[in-house]
Amino acid sequence: MRFLAPLVNVAIFLALAPLFEGVLRKLTAKIQSRQGPPLHQPYLDLLKLLGKERLDSAGTWPFRFAPLLAFAAILAVAAVIPFGGRANILAGRMDVILVIYLLTLGGASVLFGALAGRNAFGLIGASREMVTMIMVEPILAMTLILGAVKLGSLSLAAAVPSAAGASYGISNALMLLVYLLALQAFVARQPFDIAEAEVELLEGPFIEYSGGNYALFKYAMMLKQMFYAWLFVSVFLPFLRTGVYPLDLLIQLLAMFVVFLLIGLVGSTNPRMRIDQAVRYYAVLIAAALAAVGLGVWGH
Amino acid sequence: MFSSAQSLPPALFAAFGLLVLAALAAPIFARNRRAAGIVHLVLTAAAAAVLLLIGFKAVFQGGMSEAQNIVLGPLTVPFLLDGLSGLFLIVLSFVVASSALYAVRYMDHDPEYGVGGFYAAFPLFVLGMAALLVVDDLSTGFTIAWQVMTVASFFLIRYEKRSAAGVRAASKYLVLMEAAWLLVLAGGAAAGGGVGDSLHEIGLKAEGLSGGGVLLVFGLLLLGFGLKAGVFPLGQLWMPDAYTAAPSPISALFSGVMCKAGIFGLIRVFFFLSPAVAGFDPRLWGAVLSTIGTLTLFIGTLQSVKQSDAKRLLAYSSIGQVGYIVLALGVALWTAGASDPAVRALAGVAMLGGLFHVLNHAAFKGLLFLSSGSLLYATGTKDLNKLGGLVKLMPVSAAVAAVASISIAGMPPTSGFASKWTIISASLLSGPASPVIVLFGIVALFTSAVTLACYVKFFGLSFTSSRSAVTSVKPVREVPLSMLVPKIILGSVIVLQGLLPFQFIGLVRSALNHSAGFPLAGGLETGFEASLAGLRIKDVYGVSLNAAAAPLIVLSLLVIAFFIAAFLRGSAGAKERTVPTWLCGYQQLDEKNRYVDRGMFAALKDFFRWTGGR
Repeated sequence: MRFLAPLVNVAIFLALAPLFEGVLRKLTAKIQSRQGPPLHQPYLDLLKLLGKERLDSAGTWPFRFAPLLAFAAILAVAAVIPFGGRANILAGRMDVILVIYLLTLGGASVLFGALAGRNAFGLIGASREMVTMIMVEPILAMTLILGAVKLGSLSLAAAVPSAAGASYGISNALMLLVYLLALQAFVARQPFDIAEAEVELLEGPFIEYSGGNYALFKYAMMLKQMFYAWLFVSVFLPFLRTGVYPLDLLIQLLAMFVVFLLIGLVGSTNPRMRIDQAVRYYAVLIAAALAAVGLGVWGH
Repeated sequence: MFSSAQSLPPALFAAFGLLVLAALAAPIFARNRRAAGIVHLVLTAAAAAVLLLIGFKAVFQGGMSEAQNIVLGPLTVPFLLDGLSGLFLIVLSFVVASSALYAVRYMDHDPEYGVGGFYAAFPLFVLGMAALLVVDDLSTGFTIAWQVMTVASFFLIRYEKRSAAGVRAASKYLVLMEAAWLLVLAGGAAAGGGVGDSLHEIGLKAEGLSGGGVLLVFGLLLLGFGLKAGVFPLGQLWMPDAYTAAPSPISALFSGVMCKAGIFGLIRVFFFLSPAVAGFDPRLWGAVLSTIGTLTLFIGTLQSVKQSDAKRLLAYSSIGQVGYIVLALGVALWTAGASDPAVRALAGVAMLGGLFHVLNHAAFKGLLFLSSGSLLYATGTKDLNKLGGLVKLMPVSAAVAAVASISIAGMPPTSGFASKWTIISASLLSGPASPVIVLFGIVALFTSAVTLACYVKFFGLSFTSSRSAVTSVKPVREVPLSMLVPKIILGSVIVLQGLLPFQFIGLVRSALNHSAGFPLAGGLETGFEASLAGLRIKDVYGVSLNAAAAPLIVLSLLVIAFFIAAFLRGSAGAKERTVPTWLCGYQQLDEKNRYVDRGMFAALKDFFRWTGGR
């Protein structure tokens, strides 16, 4: 089973990420008193994009390489995580720092693609995307480091479901709050969809991408969204488990569904921030997360 | 651990002789720039090869266990060639040989200045650096080596002597390096060391120093070597100007090797001299070093992201990367002084990570400075606002610059990732020694994202993005083969360092185990496992696995996922078509609507305006 777990992870992520996206779109539509597309619309969108012509405005390898790398990085993350609360065969060779850097690699490939695309709007989007990554990455890191300092281990098996191994203290509660406040930024949804900003930057970093390339970016974003929902569930709700692997997978997926409802609710009721406002907002969250890690080290 | 007390290899002086010969012979051919370059290359590379062998022998077979006095006329100089010297000699010889080869054609590009002085100063500069790594005092031998290095590099910085900025940078450099020299001399004298005393003898004399005396001695030495290494705020005084003014092969040597001489000095002082001094508190000085290191990496890197000049960006980034090394040394010192043996096991991990980063930084920053030289050579500018779209014109330069950029940004599975992972893991796990170290680890992690921003910019705005007026009007060609070869060699080293970090960790480990008097020598194996299957910190705090990173497994995962992505993209058989960039209504892409460096990351630059450096 341990050998199969990475494959199971990848299969579930690939199969369900568009469905969760569909849930978001349906929910947003309902809030805005619209009918909304059917739940399976994102699958159709991906298929449609894959069948379309890929337009290449750059004609260089970084442009063609970027979507593949962005997709590969997030898929590698999906393969190594302890999905369903079960450490898989790769867990002994990977830790949380590696996962953080792999997520950054995914983000960096979007930037390389945008810069290769030669479009001014793409570059504005890339610039904003990078700033967001820089400010949000420490919050993600500290979410995982809190568990690591409590248990003295950065390994995925220990640091991710840390609240199960150590006590659930003030530090965890504070970090949970910070995570919820940063969640929209993690998944690049309103009010923090500043880099893509459809009506302003016309999808920013992705402006020059079409067809299969754009499908890969879209798919990677859906997978990333699903990862952050999973991370919330396993870091802050590690006690939602029975010990039976298939059942635990199901429980985590249901909990992730609830997280998606939350993302959709916040996303459809908040206007987009400006990048400078967002940077100040993230700075406050970073300070709060630092306080939580401090409390964690002192044993609270 | 020591097979025998070996003596100084005579080959060392043969290498020094070759360097002096290069300084005398190359300028004779100065009328023909290429001929002078080739003569210089042959002699300097031969010297580098000898130094490389000496270095490897010292690292793997053990060097000298105690200093050996060599009488030079009226002067007596103690020499010590141990594993640590050997390690730094290996770094030196690689970067020197690459730079010397690169210089042959690079020096063509600026014909209004003669190359006689350049080729006289280059080998003497190398001689000074190599000598500094093997002399073992803080008086006579140190002075000779330091002055040769400083004066030769002064002339290299003011190579463009009709440029006012270059001359000013060189003069400032000279004054500050002489100040550093005086600080180190004063530190040695304050410890009670006489003229010609080896470090070991200085330690014996300083054994009973009082609290104030310890503060004075180590404070002076920290300032002196810190000035050379470029820690905050001292590095900002000279590094950006000097690195920018010097010709690119020299900048590569400055960043890859010369500032490491400061790191070498700090290691000698804080790990070899300090154990002899009874009043030295490793935790206090560990706290000082790691605080300085963290400030350096944070501020240096944030200043780097604000630069539009490619070489200034690299120079500030060098300050930032030195910060990682100093942080690692500080954490090693701090945790080595802890009472809990579990925490002490992390000292060895931090030390190995720091020295591994020395090796990695020499390779990727050397390569990046050579890349900036190629930009200047091919286009005549190094202003990122004026560059763009070079990937098609200079494909090989672009590929190696991409390798170096993702490595320094610490993307897995590259060399920068392996060493930063080691340093950051050791810091994050050192919570029981002090929560402050955990904070430093978090700052280091944050800063590596800022480093990524620097190099997205460096690579993206020069090699990809849209062509500028400069790169579309001027006929730009790939640089000649002899400039590509050293870059390809360094690029291959970087790839190896990233995928097989255990080999290089092994090199560092062997070097430290073969350095007599290194206080952590017995503890480098415990808690840290480095093998083909990756790096692991384990069995600390009674936890079976503390941290793990496996470059080869990550690479295989990424490759598999990459092919899944490629399959998916091609699954519907859709065609690819080249089209012009969609400009949202503009007629053509030109200087007026190009996105240039000034606007890049504006929100971040504004938020961190207080870190200065603009």
